[in-house]
Amino acid sequence: MITFENVTMRYAKGDTPALQSVDVEIGRGDFVFVVGASGSGKSTMMRLIILEKEATQGRVLVAGKDLSRLPNRKVPGLRRQVGTVFQDFRLLSGKTVHQNIAYVLQVLGARRHTIRQLVPETLELVGLQGKGKRLPHELSGGEQQRVAIARAMVNKPPILLADEPTGNLDPETSQEIVAILDRINRTGTTVVMATHDTTIVNRFRKRVVQLRDGVLVRDQAEGEYEAVEERLV
Amino acid sequence: MRAGFLFGEVGNGLRRNTSMFVAVVLVTMVSLFFLGSGLLAQRQVDTLKGYWYDKVQVSIFLCTPDSTDVASCAGGGVTEVQREGLTGDLDRLDGLVEEYWYESNEQAYERFREQFRNSPVLDSIPQDAIPESFRVQLADPTKYEVVASAFEGAPGVESVEDQREVVDRLFTFLNAVSLSAVGLAAAMVVCAVLLISTTIRLTAWSRRRETNIMRLVGASAFTIHTPFLVETVLATLLGAGLSIGLLWAMVQYGISGFLTDLLAGQTGMIGLIGPRDLWVITPILVGGAVLLAVVTSWLALRRHVRV
Ligand SMILES: Nc1ncnc2c1ncn2[C@@H]1O[C@H](COP(=O)(O)OP(=O)(O)O)[C@@H](O)[C@H]1O
Ligand SMILES: [Mg+2]
Repeated sequence: MITFENVTMRYAKGDTPALQSVDVEIGRGDFVFVVGASGSGKSTMMRLIILEKEATQGRVLVAGKDLSRLPNRKVPGLRRQVGTVFQDFRLLSGKTVHQNIAYVLQVLGARRHTIRQLVPETLELVGLQGKGKRLPHELSGGEQQRVAIARAMVNKPPILLADEPTGNLDPETSQEIVAILDRINRTGTTVVMATHDTTIVNRFRKRVVQLRDGVLVRDQAEGEYEAVEERLV
Repeated sequence: MRAGFLFGEVGNGLRRNTSMFVAVVLVTMVSLFFLGSGLLAQRQVDTLKGYWYDKVQVSIFLCTPDSTDVASCAGGGVTEVQREGLTGDLDRLDGLVEEYWYESNEQAYERFREQFRNSPVLDSIPQDAIPESFRVQLADPTKYEVVASAFEGAPGVESVEDQREVVDRLFTFLNAVSLSAVGLAAAMVVCAVLLISTTIRLTAWSRRRETNIMRLVGASAFTIHTPFLVETVLATLLGAGLSIGLLWAMVQYGISGFLTDLLAGQTGMIGLIGPRDLWVITPILVGGAVLLAVVTSWLALRRHVRV
């Protein structure tokens, strides 16, 4: 589903690379933790997948498409295949939960009855049924992140990227969030979650890809898992 | 993207940036007002040309007793014999002259008194100082030189005057007005372009969260850009509407009303532009407004609203 082939990424000419010769293959339906200390290149990987940035060298393939050859007008199509969730939720503060989620469908041109059907369905997926009328500031952090997940999933993308989705949450809430991602993954969605929360990684025992200063230092599938060292920093 | 959603977005944008919206409306209004004034002045020139070039006359002024300093008038006022000689000459220029008529000293004085009825100049001018004349309507107004040279310096003729020269002076003036107005319009259009791109930059900034989410979920460039574009087009169209209103008031009350009364009273001049001429240039103004909005937005959006 997502392939990195010898990918090097520099933000500016002459910078030390944020990613260096990274080779990763993520299959359809995988659940992958991308771990590493702050600044190790996790977010950069995410940015390359949604073409927020382009690789300096090497190829990134998403859903069979070589991103370096994707014409500009096809970039939105790519992004519709990839849902994204961030540490800071990025909800629209003036809109209710329902409106935040419906917004995605509206900008993608969905019909009203599709919206009326999909939004409650997605709220249920993240366990927020009945909270559609709330404004973001009337929700806890964990609930806000669930809204963000619902927004990312409402148009049913085959890939979900989560960049430190638990970074602002307490350990218990974090586990709930990852459990939701796990549930989404079980319905066939490929999930890539960047995190430096070792407790979570060790607990959920998924495939782990580890970066250190932009270099891939570990890629262990679910079966051959070894605990991630306590301190990543 | 559905229409209802689009209008919702546009409404939000307008509410958030009302002052910038008003600024764009006003700047567009002023730009198009100048552009419209320039175009109307040009049309005024064309209308007057059509009207006057058919009607302008060559006036052959005859000697008065006072005009002895002109060589051909050395003998004082024009004599009966000289006048008849001139009549004969005019008859012989059959192909060039459409018609001609004689205006006596009394008639000329009457007309003069009528024109300057409100002026104190009137009392200081004796009737003798107003020359009698032949008024010549040319078959082809461009052949003025031929007629002028035939009579310039002839005995009993003080001077030959082509009204076209007078009218041309007016045209030169109107052309200058037209050019200045268009020049000002150009400067204002530059202001409008700068203001619109600044507005789009600010609007983009105030809407960056929404735009960001649109980008992330894969909205097309069209979806992201259209609300900005619609807002700008609305603003410039409103500006165009206001400028047309102003131009209409100017034509209706300024030119058709005031100027026509003034000029018709003094010179019998007609052929001024009216509201009809405004409707002719309306599509240019509206088209200009849309073009201004679309081109500027397109450039600004490419720079400030990344997709
Ligand atoms: N926009 C940027 N411009 C320049 N350098 C950046 C930018 N974003 C990240 N970097 C650099 O790239 C490296 C990797 O950053 P990032 O991928 O954000 O790490 P992580 O998400 O693992 O914390 C860091 O050294 C960081 O300083
Ligand atoms: Mg990061």
